[in-house]
Amino acid sequence: MSYIKSYGIALPHFRVEDSTLHPSGKKGVMKAVCFADEDIITLAFEASCNINKEGVDGIFFATSSSVFNNRYHASFLADLLNLSQGILALDFTNSARSGTDALLLANDLIGSGKYKNILVVSADVNFPEIGKERSTPFGHAACAILLCKEKGIAEITSSGSYSSSLAEEFSYKSNTIQNDPRYSRDAGFKNNITTSIKRIVSKPDSFDAIILNSLYARMAGGIFAKAGYTETQFAKDSLTSKIGNTGSTHALLLLIHELENGKKSILLADYTNGTNLFEIKTFTFPENKCLQEQLSKYDLINCYQDYLLLRKAGNFGSFTYTTKEMFSSEMMQEREKDTLQYLKGLKCDMCGTIYYLKAARCKKCKCETFSTVQLSKTGSVYAFTAEHYFPSSFPPITMVIVDLDGGGRMTVQQTDTLLPEKYKMEIGVNVKLVLRKMIENDAKPNYFWKAKQNG
Amino acid sequence: MGKQTDIAIIGIGVTKFGELFHQSYDDLVRDAALQAVADAKISLDDIGAAWLSTAFPEIGVFKGRSGMDLSEPLSLYNIPVTRVSNFCASGADAIRNAINALRAGECDVAMALGVEKLRDRQPQDSIVKMMVEYGHPFLQKGFTAAGTFAVYANRMMKEFGLTREDISNVSVKNHFHGSLNDKAFYRKPCTLEEVMRSQMVADPLTVLDSCPTTDGAACVIMVRAEDVDKKKHNPVFVKGLGLSVSTGWDLPFFDPNHDFLSFEATRNAARIAYKQAGITDPIEELDLVEVHDCFSIVELLTYEDLGLCKQGESKDLIRGKETQLGGKIPVNVSGGLLSCGHPVGATGIRMVVEVSNHLRGNAGERQVKNAKRGLTHNIGGPGAIASVIILEN
Repeated sequence: MSYIKSYGIALPHFRVEDSTLHPSGKKGVMKAVCFADEDIITLAFEASCNINKEGVDGIFFATSSSVFNNRYHASFLADLLNLSQGILALDFTNSARSGTDALLLANDLIGSGKYKNILVVSADVNFPEIGKERSTPFGHAACAILLCKEKGIAEITSSGSYSSSLAEEFSYKSNTIQNDPRYSRDAGFKNNITTSIKRIVSKPDSFDAIILNSLYARMAGGIFAKAGYTETQFAKDSLTSKIGNTGSTHALLLLIHELENGKKSILLADYTNGTNLFEIKTFTFPENKCLQEQLSKYDLINCYQDYLLLRKAGNFGSFTYTTKEMFSSEMMQEREKDTLQYLKGLKCDMCGTIYYLKAARCKKCKCETFSTVQLSKTGSVYAFTAEHYFPSSFPPITMVIVDLDGGGRMTVQQTDTLLPEKYKMEIGVNVKLVLRKMIENDAKPNYFWKAKQNG
Repeated sequence: MGKQTDIAIIGIGVTKFGELFHQSYDDLVRDAALQAVADAKISLDDIGAAWLSTAFPEIGVFKGRSGMDLSEPLSLYNIPVTRVSNFCASGADAIRNAINALRAGECDVAMALGVEKLRDRQPQDSIVKMMVEYGHPFLQKGFTAAGTFAVYANRMMKEFGLTREDISNVSVKNHFHGSLNDKAFYRKPCTLEEVMRSQMVADPLTVLDSCPTTDGAACVIMVRAEDVDKKKHNPVFVKGLGLSVSTGWDLPFFDPNHDFLSFEATRNAARIAYKQAGITDPIEELDLVEVHDCFSIVELLTYEDLGLCKQGESKDLIRGKETQLGGKIPVNVSGGLLSCGHPVGATGIRMVVEVSNHLRGNAGERQVKNAKRGLTHNIGGPGAIASVIILEN
């Protein structure tokens, strides 16, 4: 069918403990939450940016928390990633199952021979109603998987989907509806998963990891036992307690988790109002375990107030000046894309000085010819200042002048600045550039580079 | 370049600087212009051409977008009037243009008038708003004016052992000078502790390290030196004038060769002006200096760029109180921008009026004794544009 060639993960840097969200919450049970300038687009970009984009002829974007209406997240992301113009770009939205929906179709399209390399990206940033954080599953993450025709780290050997008309909890015109749980779980979840296993999966004993992603996973033991599976085959979901339930991304993260755990033969079942099933065989184990690495690197949010500020629920002005929309123009961003998005610089043909901004002549040696060079996304701080009067959720905004590794200089804002004492800005500090929202009022998409200290 | 005709300033006028709620843009124009006309003992109709300097009409009262905003309040019609805009060097540039017209023979009496009306808006509605909401959506977004100079401060502290105290002592000195100037915005002296403890704006610069946005106007009337009537006038002569644009709005923050330790524009403008005036050892040959202390760090940088000391040694001048009134080279005896305030288009001309008063011996309590030669300096944009004017009596 198709192969998983490579993958990328993006978890926000911050975690909030259940005990911070509610006095009776558990310590050590955490949810990954976005910084104020992150959203599904920035997470999706971060997850995808290190994947080899050569020959990618399709991109699928899955989310249950769309930021656009009437605009494709997939084509927006394709542009940010500098993929070829006009490739197949589809969105899979509206459900926590949409991550595996995208994987399912990508797998079939590659199997059909029409497409060779499809990038499947899922990102979800859901926030529950304020005060309902303990009873509502949430967590923010993105996962990108490159599926291709040629052999990769794992193969999807078979796949299928079994739909159901019954849903346990859903929304209708933004009202939340919960059917009688006894009926919908028996007739919906249990019935659907039983039938789908029977129809789609071939040999129960051939799997060393069975992943069931569902809010009702705990009731599934009996179902699987009846179908001939043993308890030792089950891969427990250890991610939910570390980063929360990451919605459409969760099933993909559980899959990556088992790949990194070295499982050879995986059954992935993803249930939400119907089941997607995949049988996966592993060939080589991933060298760079980026999920495990990101699970271990985080900082805790200290208080509920900071959590509210992160989700922009508080007053996020600085002093008396609140965030307003700045001037921006689609034309400007489009024509300056090479510089602004793709970090293409100009190298003076005579003295070798690398400029981020275009110019007719080199400022230093007046040479009139330049060659285009790709600037790097890492560097060290040449100078900085903290701006206390510029609007921000977490003032001050630190402006850093970064000398990029390999040449060129940029001036950008610092991000992930929740703990200024822990990550103190200094001249000479190493930073990397990450794509974030410039103005946090969410009135318009406005993504640009910011500097993040390598914590 | 051949020998240039000497130019004389024969009339000067300056309004009170501050939060002038009772005066409109037009009132300020009239106030400064009529003072200068009276001082020159001429009539408005003797003026052959005029230059109006207002840097930011759009964040003020939408006046000053063209020369007609000088003509209208003065009923000064049927002569050429041009609006000059070059950021904080606008006022000095108006003077430069007037001088060039006199030299070219376009007119015999020229007026340069600078005016800015920013306080009809709340402070955060003017220049901060411009930096937040206007301009390129990404490049430099996050900076206010203070931040673009604060990065110099951090770099200077790292390279030259400059301290926060050195920077803030500039503010203490200038606020003391300002207490002697009845036209200054802030007339209250302050202590080092007050400067350092005031609200942080952009590390390490505090509110008292920053000049306020201000209303005000200043005006000079100039003629060719040969036209000075010695019985009537008390002239001051323009001996040198340099203006230089040496980088751009964005470039300093994206140019890997920019060291954030000096302003090339100031160095270049000073070189031009010193050459015209025949100055080779500025600290010995100048009696007083007005520099563009929009933020206190800029004054220290400018000591070095004007050649009052070597690079890295500005801290010695401030520590030794050499730039205080009574010191070796008094700097900003008017109180500077920190005390007088900064009506952007008017500031350069206000400095020329200040130095002229000292050269005429009319500066009252803050008079620099035996002042024979003085210098004014402005820096505009993020250190991109500078002007230096040398005046003699």
